[in-house]
Amino acid sequence: MNHPIRRRDFIKSGLRAASLLALGTSSGLVTKAQGKKATSRKVIILGFDGMDPRLTDMWMKEGKLPAFQRLTVQGGFHSLGTSIPPQSPVAWSNFITGMNPGGHGIFDFIHRDPKTYIPTFSASATADASKTIRVGNFVLPIKGGTVKNLRQGKAFWQILEEHDIPATIFKIPANYPPVSSKERTLSGMGTPDLLGSYGRFRYYTTEPKEIQEDIGGGEVHQVYVIGNRVEAKLPGPINTFKKDRPEAEIDFKVFIDPQNPVAKVVIQDQEFILGEKEWSGWKRVRFPLIPSQSVTGICMFYLKEVRPNFKLYVSPINVDPGNPALPISTPESYAKELEKKFGPFFTKGLPADTSALDNEILDEEEFLEQDDFVLEESRAVLDYELGRFDSGLFFYYISSTDQRQHMFWRMLDEKHPAYDPALAKKFGGIIENIYREADRILDHVLGNIDKDTVVLVMSDHGFNPFNRAFNLNTWLRQNGYLRLRNEFKQEDLEIGFPTTDWSKTKAFGLGLNGLYINQKGREAEGIVQAGPDKENLVREIARKLEEFTDPKTGEKVVLKAYVARDVYSGAHVDEAPDIVLGFNRGYRISFKSPLGQVPKDVLEDNRAKWSGDHMGAAEIMPGILLTNQPFKAESPALYDLTATILDVFGIEKPEGMIGKTIFE
Amino acid sequence: MAKEKVKIDKNLMDKVRKYAKLSGYSSAEEFIAHCLEKEISKIDEADSEEEIKKKLKGLGYIS
Repeated sequence: MNHPIRRRDFIKSGLRAASLLALGTSSGLVTKAQGKKATSRKVIILGFDGMDPRLTDMWMKEGKLPAFQRLTVQGGFHSLGTSIPPQSPVAWSNFITGMNPGGHGIFDFIHRDPKTYIPTFSASATADASKTIRVGNFVLPIKGGTVKNLRQGKAFWQILEEHDIPATIFKIPANYPPVSSKERTLSGMGTPDLLGSYGRFRYYTTEPKEIQEDIGGGEVHQVYVIGNRVEAKLPGPINTFKKDRPEAEIDFKVFIDPQNPVAKVVIQDQEFILGEKEWSGWKRVRFPLIPSQSVTGICMFYLKEVRPNFKLYVSPINVDPGNPALPISTPESYAKELEKKFGPFFTKGLPADTSALDNEILDEEEFLEQDDFVLEESRAVLDYELGRFDSGLFFYYISSTDQRQHMFWRMLDEKHPAYDPALAKKFGGIIENIYREADRILDHVLGNIDKDTVVLVMSDHGFNPFNRAFNLNTWLRQNGYLRLRNEFKQEDLEIGFPTTDWSKTKAFGLGLNGLYINQKGREAEGIVQAGPDKENLVREIARKLEEFTDPKTGEKVVLKAYVARDVYSGAHVDEAPDIVLGFNRGYRISFKSPLGQVPKDVLEDNRAKWSGDHMGAAEIMPGILLTNQPFKAESPALYDLTATILDVFGIEKPEGMIGKTIFE
Repeated sequence: MAKEKVKIDKNLMDKVRKYAKLSGYSSAEEFIAHCLEKEISKIDEADSEEEIKKKLKGLGYIS
C-alpha cells in the first residue's frame, strides 16, 4: 500500500520544504489559541494588500466606500508610511517586527548568494537532507532537510504570547514557514506550491501556436486528441528519493464527448466531468515517490476549450491543508481544522494565477473567476474566526486588492501602453469593485464587534501605473559599471550573470529594487575595495541614477536612490543591497533585469497585462491606515502599528523596535 | 585512465606553458585540466541557477 508521506518525512527527504518547528499536536481538530488571558480590550486588524490612499480617498468622497467613510469620521484616515522598498515581504516584515529591513533582514523578494551571484528566495531557505543512504536507485534520507524562515526579530504575536494574550493570524505575508508559536497562524504570501516554487501552472493544448518554451510561472504541454482521448502527465515535485532526482509525475486521461462540449478527466482513482469553461473545484492528487511513500497536493482543473482545439489548465499544485507536506500553520492542526470545516483551500502565497493571465493562458474573466474562489474561501474563514473571537488579537488578510491592481491597472489609464478600449469597457470597474468588496468586509467586521475592540485597517503600500520598464543592468553596462565577457555576443544579453565579466564589473542590479557593488572580499570575484573606494562609487552611481531622465517623457526614472547605510538601522544592514532604487511614478524595474539579464534598451514600454505596481520611492507609495479610535500621529508608519498593538495590551515594546504607538 | 588529444593554437599553447610554470603547475596538461574543470563547475552551477530562476518566475514580478 502506498502511504501518504508524513510532513516530517517530506522535509527529511529534502523536497524543497519545511521548518524546524515542533510538529504540534494533531489530535483535537478545533485548535485552541494558547494565550489564555481574557483581555478587556481586543484588536482586529484588516490587512488589504496594496490598497492605495489616493484611490481610497477618491472613492470615499464619491460615497462608494461607506464603511471606510464611517471609520474615517469615527477615528481617522491617514496614509501609512511604507518600507524601503515598498515590496510586500519587506513591508509586512516591518509591520510584523516593528523594525526596518536593517533589523529584520528582508530587503527584497529576491536576495543573492555573494559567493555565486545566484539569486535566492529572500524569505526562506531550504536545505536537502544532510545525510543520505543509497539503496539501488533510491537515495534515502537519514538526517536533516530543513526549511527556515529568514526573517529576523520577534513577530508581534510571539510577544503577545509571552504575555499570555491569544492571537489568530490569518495568511499574514512574510511568515513562511510560520515562526514558532502556539497561537493559531496560517502562512500567506511566501508559501510555495508543492514544487517549492512561487507557482507553476500546467496548460495542455493541441494548438501549436500556443506552445511556448520559456514561460514565466508555468509550462505549456502539447497534447494530441486520438480517438476522442487525451493522455498526459501532471508533473509534481522533484523526487529526491531517486538517484537522478526526476520529477514525480502522475498520468491522467481525458475522454472527450464526441458530440457535446464536455469531457471526463480520469486521474488516479478520481473521475469527474467538466463542461467547457468549467472549473473542477479542488482535486487531491498523490505523487508516488518510492514504493512505500507518496505526497499529496491539491489543484484545480479548468476546461478552457473542447473543440476545435483541446485546452486544459491545471492550477499550481498547492500544499494540501488537510495533509500538509510543508509547514503552513501553527499548530499543524489549524490548517487541518480549516480544511475539515471548509474543504481544501488555497495555501500558496499570492494565490491568483497572475502568470496564467499575463501569458494569455487564462483570460481576464477566467482569472477573476479563480480569484473569486480565493475571496470566497477567505470570507468563510472571516465569519468562522469572528464567531469565536472573544479575546486578544485577530489579524485577517486579503490578497485580491493587490493582485487585481497589478493586472487591471491598464484598464484605468488610456495612456498605458497595454490599454485596450474594448477590455477597458468591460473590466474598467474591477479595481473599484475590489475596493468596494474591502468595504463590505469592513462593514461586516464593524457589525460584529463590541465597544472594547480596536479596529485597524491597513495596507502595506499603495499602487501606481507601471508604464515604463527600466533595465538597470543595461544602464550599468552603458555607464561602464558592468561588463560582459563577450561584449558583442547578442545572446549573452539574454543570459546575463553567467556571462558577466566579474573581473571588470563594479556594480550589478539584482532583485526588484536592489543594486550591489561587486565588493572585494564579499562577492566571490569582487573588485571594489571596501572603504572610501566603495563609498565614492556608491554616491557616484546614486547621483547618476537620480539624474537620469527618460528621453521619451523627460521624466526622472529613479526618484530616490537610497544608500542603504543612510536609511537602514539594525544588525543586518551589511546584508542590504548597497543602493535601493525608489522609482518615479509610472516606472519600475523591467521583467528581465531582476535576475541579471541585460536587454538591449535601457527603457521599454511595458505592454504586459501586469500593468500596475508599487516599486516606487517610499515617499510616493504609502499605504492606508484607518482606525475606530482617534489617533494623533502625524506620519504613522508600518512599524508604528507594531508598537501600537503592544501599547493597546499594555506591553512595553522590546529593544530593537523602532516604532511608537499612534494613540499617544 | 584513458586519455584524449585536443588541438590548441600554438601561440595559446606557448602562453599556457608559460603561465602553468609561473603558477606552479607541474605540467601544462595539469593547468589545462584545472581550467576546464573550473569552467565546467561554473556551468553545473548555472544549471541550478536555472532551476532557481524557474521557481522564482511564478512570482509575477519577473519573467
